[in-house]
Parts: sequence; structure tokens; C-alpha cells
Amino acid sequence: MKSLSFRWQLTLFILMISGVTLSLAFAGLYLYDVQQFNAEVQTRLESSQAAVIESVLPQLEHNPNATGLSLKVLAGNTQVAAGAIYSRDNRLLGQFVRPGSVEKVPPSRGLLSQLTPERGAVWLPITSGLRPLGQLYLKAELSEADRNRFANLMRGSLIIFFASAMLAVAVAFRVQGRITQPITELARVSTHVQRSRDYSERVQTTASGEIGDLIQSFNAMLDTIQSNTAELERARAAAEEAREKIHQTNDQLEEANRTLEARVVDRTRLLAKAVKDAEEASKAKSSFLAKMSHELRTPLNAIIGYSEIMREDAVDDGDTRTADDLDKVLSAARHLLGLINDVLDISKIEAGKMELYLETFELSKVVTEVISTASPLVAKKGNSLVVDCPPDIGTMHADATKLRQMLLNLLSNASKFTEKGTVTLKVRRQRGEPEDNIELAVIDSGIGMTPEQLARLFQAFSQADASTSSKYGGTGLGLAISKQFAQMMKGEINVTSTPGVGSTFTIRLPANVQSKQPKIVGTSSPKLTRSPFPTQTRPKILVIDDDKEIRIVIAELLNMSGYEVIEAASGQQGLDLADQSAPDLILLDVMMPGIDGWTVLTKLQSKPRLADVPVIVLSAVSDSDMAMSLGAASVLLKPVDASRLTAEIAMQLCPVDGSFVLLVEDDPDSRNLLIRMFEKEGWQFRAAVNGNAALRVLHKAAPVFIILDLKMSGMNGFELLEVIGKNPAWSKIPVAIVSSMDITPEMRDYLQTRVTAIFQKGRFSREELADLIRPVIQGGAPVPAAKPA
Amino acid sequence: MPKILLVEDNEMNRDMLSRRLEKRGYTLAIAVDGAAGVAMAKSEAPDLILMDMSLPVIDGWDATKQIKADPATAKVPIIALTAHAMDSDRQKALAAGCDDFDTKPVELARLLVKIEELLKKFPPKA
Repeated sequence: MKSLSFRWQLTLFILMISGVTLSLAFAGLYLYDVQQFNAEVQTRLESSQAAVIESVLPQLEHNPNATGLSLKVLAGNTQVAAGAIYSRDNRLLGQFVRPGSVEKVPPSRGLLSQLTPERGAVWLPITSGLRPLGQLYLKAELSEADRNRFANLMRGSLIIFFASAMLAVAVAFRVQGRITQPITELARVSTHVQRSRDYSERVQTTASGEIGDLIQSFNAMLDTIQSNTAELERARAAAEEAREKIHQTNDQLEEANRTLEARVVDRTRLLAKAVKDAEEASKAKSSFLAKMSHELRTPLNAIIGYSEIMREDAVDDGDTRTADDLDKVLSAARHLLGLINDVLDISKIEAGKMELYLETFELSKVVTEVISTASPLVAKKGNSLVVDCPPDIGTMHADATKLRQMLLNLLSNASKFTEKGTVTLKVRRQRGEPEDNIELAVIDSGIGMTPEQLARLFQAFSQADASTSSKYGGTGLGLAISKQFAQMMKGEINVTSTPGVGSTFTIRLPANVQSKQPKIVGTSSPKLTRSPFPTQTRPKILVIDDDKEIRIVIAELLNMSGYEVIEAASGQQGLDLADQSAPDLILLDVMMPGIDGWTVLTKLQSKPRLADVPVIVLSAVSDSDMAMSLGAASVLLKPVDASRLTAEIAMQLCPVDGSFVLLVEDDPDSRNLLIRMFEKEGWQFRAAVNGNAALRVLHKAAPVFIILDLKMSGMNGFELLEVIGKNPAWSKIPVAIVSSMDITPEMRDYLQTRVTAIFQKGRFSREELADLIRPVIQGGAPVPAAKPA
Repeated sequence: MPKILLVEDNEMNRDMLSRRLEKRGYTLAIAVDGAAGVAMAKSEAPDLILMDMSLPVIDGWDATKQIKADPATAKVPIIALTAHAMDSDRQKALAAGCDDFDTKPVELARLLVKIEELLKKFPPKA
């Protein structure tokens, strides 16, 4: 059935229904006919019936179960084909079958024969009064007419049956089209859609009702699917296109990258060459300038010297004309000398070669010297010189020579541009926090300057006016040089001026000039901790920092302290050199272009051969947590203090001989508190910031006591305890826990099997802890664990 | 008169300076290089030495050190003559043991003041 199409199923169904209906109708008709016929037969056989009952009644009354009853009486009636008597309990008691007949009497009166009436047979009760004695069965001899009647009935029934079946099929075929067409169409379309994935097809139908709704829904669903699919297709196409584009862009990018890399390599090479060339050129320039200044000065020296001799002779001889001429020669020669000196100064400043020589001096003494040199200059144009300097001006720490030169320059300028006026040198000390400033002002009543002239004033080779130089002389370099000098000493020169009224130049310098702020502090007089291996080969330290200046300073510092230094200018170079040179310790800068310090640290820690090398991280910001969790041995803040750096390095490398305490603690404050205690007690110690660092120490030497924090980034206290417990060399070392952690009873139980004492941070006195350690240190060897606290 | 030992390799400067000093009444001894300067500091027993710094054989700083290291000549004041721009030369000169310095080209008046001051500080034996 399942494989049949819906239309056939429907046809069969209609056929079945009509078949069943007709069969029931025929069965009813047949039964009715049998009943009618039997009623006729009963009338027909009424006489025989009475004769039989009469003949057997006495016997039955005598014995209701008497067998072998004779029914010969029936032989007289030809209408009877067969007859039988049955007892009350339906047993056959006697029978008669007309000779030559094929009739058979039922062997007993069963339930079946009672329910289904036999055509032409009648059952009659035999009674004696009201008492039932049995049943009489009579079967009529069927006449030709009787047989025909039955045959006609059956024939008619069959004809009607087949006719109505044909009609049913015809109707079914007619009607099913209307029902099945939409459904088969739906089935066809859905199969087609499923096979071809063509969602554009629609079910064409005029069907209404539920099927119509169903098909419309199906079509609507197809609409949705079609539009979704179309959208999906569009999206897929877009994605494909985008991917194609990305692909292309990637290719281009890769190409660009390759080109860029090649260009970078190229440029780097060129740049390196350029830098080298520039350095060489700069060197050449410096040495050329030094040489030239010497070469120029030597003949000038002679010119000035001999002119002076001749001038003296001329004065002695009273030859004023010659003396005047020689004065002009001398003036020109001195001007030339000034020019040479200025040009040399400017070149040195530009080359960064000008250096400060700081000394402490009496300011008043320098002022006096400057005044004595400048007074002839000032007096030349009829100016008076006023000095306003308090006698208690005090000392100053600066470059006195440069200060002198600056003051002379300002005074000489002032006298150049002032005629018959006043030039004042006013010196003041300004007390201030955090430090004093010295103010030296040169005030003139000269021609003054316009704002435009002021703007160009401090530029090299530029005087206020191009014509100035011819009128007033000078190179125009003096102010530029003075300004540079002031800046070198962290000071400044300011000028205020009013045309026709005069100008005021003010030098402001710190009273205590500091040498250039170093990136490493305290290198000038640091307390350096020397290498702990004075007699052996110098420990190798790899310095990874992109700042060349810092590398140089650190290298010098470490060389002085007894180490061999390997320098790496980048993270990558650092990793390479760490691999090649197997350093004993690594100093690592965090902020580097390319591979930064954190990445370097991580990579170093991942290499088994290098993981044991202590790494000291140098960082400008405090991110020790990060460093520690990545495995750094220690973190130093930039600018790095030279003595701290060397102390830290020595501590990291130091093979502690004798008894020492190992402090494992990541919090710097807590660490420092305990370290102070160790120092006060005079104990040797090593500090580690976590379990990993502690193991690095343990691998080198076993401490006599361990103070252990529990919560630490990297390997924590519990993990370290596990490791220590498994190593027989370490398992006997007494351990005191100092932690801020909330210790649960379970933790306490666990810890008490392994440690000597447990202290809660902030809830114990350091004296308690010291009392625990003291006997161990003095004993020089681990003592049996004391009773846990 | 005080005797001045002038150690100077440049002939012109030597001639010029020696003539001007002689004119002012000083007795002059001349050495043309550092080694001669050291030798003559002993043999000539000058009251003061004018020492150029860039000298052949041994330079002015070494010569000064040797003179100051020899007890026989240690007391003789030395004025270093250095090039103007070379600040470091001056520091080195003082470090080497010079008592004062002056720049070249020589400003005679200023040099004379320094000579007189030192001669007052270290009076000639005779």
C-alpha cells in the first residue's frame, strides 16, 4: 500500500468502502430471502410435521433420550428431502434421508445451525403439553423454481455488486483527481525542489480548503526559502569577493612587506654607513677645528706679540704715529682672535663637544675679575660702569670660565651699543625652593632694540641688523654662545629692550648647577658592589637595552665592578646572544621596539638552558608583578641606581658561603621589612620573589632557614613546599610561613606537617621570627624542626 | 733679577716672549722641548717656569709632573701656557701640578701680574 500512489490508494479506498457496503446489503437481503423462503417451506411441510411429531411423541414422552427413532412416516411426503429428531440436549435421536437425495442431516443441533438459518430447512420444537422434549429438523425438497429463485437472487446481487463497483471506481477516478491533483502536484514540486534545489518552482493549483491553505503555505515557504537562498547566495558571493580581495590585498601587502623589508635593510645599511660617515666626519671636523685653531693662533700669537714689542719700542721712542698704527694692527689681530675663538666655541657646541667644568667659587671674585677686564671696554665710549653686587652674594657651583665669558660678552655688547651712558651689572641671589638661583643682569642705556630685532637676537651669525656688524663690529656669535652656555647650566638668558631707552640682558642660573642628568644615577661616586668572584673569570652579564647610552654606562659600571659585559641592542639580538654566549645573568630593559622585554623574558624562561639564568628587569614603570610572574629574578626601577644595580647583581650571582636565610616573598614592602631585620641581625640572606626564584637559589646553595610567603605570582608557597619536601637535601631545612593569607584549618593541618612555624602578616613580632632563626644561624646547620607554632 | 725658564717649542713665540720679558728685566733661560725643560729646571735653577703644554719629546704635563716630583725642583712655581679653547688642557695642567695658567696668545700685562704674584708667593732664594 505504501508504495501505491495516492490516487490509487484513494481509488482502492473508495472501492473497499463500496464493496463492504454492498456486501452488507447483500448479506441482509440474503438473510431476508432465506427467512421468507423458510417461512414458505414451514407452511408447505405443516402436515408432515404434525405426522412426524405424532409418530415419535409417545416414545419421547416415555424416554426423552430414546435413540433410533424411526421417521418412516416422512417417506410419504415427497416434499421432504430429509428430517431428524434431536434431544433436548441437541443429540441426534433419529433421522430420515430420502433415498437418492444428497442431503445430510446435521449430526447434532450445534450453536452454528441455530444461528445461521439453512435455506429450505425448518426447526420445530417437540413438546408434550408445556414440557419440551426435543427438536424436529425438516429439510424441504427444493423445486426447480426454488433453485431458480436463489440463482436469480445471487446473479442479481453479483451484477449489482460489479456494476456499483465499476461505478465507484469511475466516480473515484473522477473525484480523486480533484483531491489528489493538488497533493500529487505538491509532492511532485517538493520532490523536484528537493532534488534540484530549485526554489523558484511553485505549486500551481486552484485547490481550496485545507489543501489550498497547505499549498499556499508551501508556496510561501518556498518564497521565503528562495529569498533566503538568494540572499545567502548574494552574501556568499560577497564573501567570496571579499575573500578574493583580501587575498589580493594580502598578496600586495606581502609584496609591499618584502619590498619594505628590503628597503629597510637597504636603508639600515645606508643609515649605518651614513652614521659612520657622519661620526667620522664629525671627528674629522673636530680634529680639523682643533688643528686649525692651533694653526691660526700660532701666527696670530706672533703678530700680536711682535706688534706689542714694536708698539712699546715706538712709545719709548716717542713715535706716536707708529704706535697708533700698531694699535690698529693689534686691535684687528685681537678681533680676529675673538672670531676664531667664537667659531671654535660654536662648532664645539654644535658637535656636542662643549663640556661643563663645574667648580665652587666665590661669585664676587668672578664679578671683580670680569669688571676689571671689561672696564676699559666700557670706558672707551664714555660710559660709566656701575656694579651692584651685594658683598654677601656667596658661592656658586658652576662653570666659572663660561660664566666669565657670558658676562664679558654681555658687557662688551652693552658698551658697544651705548655711548656716554651707563652700563650696570646687577647681581642678585634669589633664595628659593628647592634651590637658589643667581641672577646677573647687564643693563645699558643704549640704542635699544625693536621686537623684530629681539626675535633674531640669539641666532648664530645674526646680529640685530645686518649693518650692525660693520658699524659696531663683533661676530654675532657671542649671544648665541652665551645662550648655549646658559642652557648647558640649566639656566637661561632673557632680554628686554626699548628702542632709544636701552636693553637689559639677564642671565639666570641655578646657584648649584648639576651635571647632566644621568640615566643611571650615582655613577660619579657610587658605592659599587664588586663581583663576588674576584679571583676567577669575570661573570658574563648580558645587557639587553635599545638605549645605547644606557648600555654604555652600564657596561662601564659593570666592567669596573668586575664583570664581562655583552651588549644587545634589541630583544632579538638579546635572545640570540643569550643562546650563544650562555651569560651568568641578564639585565633586561622592558620598553624596546620590536620584541619587547616581556616577550624576551617569556622566551628566555621557556628555554631549559636559559631558565636558570637570573634575569633582572629594568623598567621605567613599576610592574614588578608582571615581571615576577614571567619569571624575573628581580625588578629595578629606572633610572637605575648604580649601587643598587651592582648590589642586586652581586646578590643574584653570589654563592653565599656559610649560613644564610632564604626569604621568599613577592611584596617589596614586606621583603624590605624582613631584609632590614636580617641586616640588623647581621645575617646573610638571599631574597627570592617567588618559588621559581627560590629554586634558583636552592640549586646553588642550601639555606639554613626559609621564610616563605604563600601567595605569590609564579610558583607559590605551597608548590615550593612540595618541591622542597621531595628533595632530601632540602627537606630538613626549617621553614617559617609568613603570609597574609587566611589560613583554613585544613591548610594549617597540611602546613604543620611541613613547616616549623606559621605567622600571619601583621600579627607577629619580628622578634618572634628572629628568635626562631637565631639558633639556626648560630648553629650553622639546620636544627631539627621546632614544635610548630 | 728673577730667572725665568721659558719652555716653548715655537721659535717665534719663544723669541717674542723672551725679548719682552727681558725688556722688563727678567733673566731668561730657554728650553725647546719638555725633556730639556726638565733638565734645565735642575741645571738652571730658575725662580719660575713658563711651560707650554704641547711640546715635543715629552709634553708639558709630563714635564711638570717630573719637575714637581723632583725634590730639587718641586718648589719652583710653574705657569702653564695653554690654548684658549682647550678647557680640558687647563684642568689637566692644574692636575699635573702647575701653580697657575694663562692662555695663548699671551696677554703680556695679565701674564706679568701672574708672574709677580707667584714670585711673591715663592720668593727667589737669592
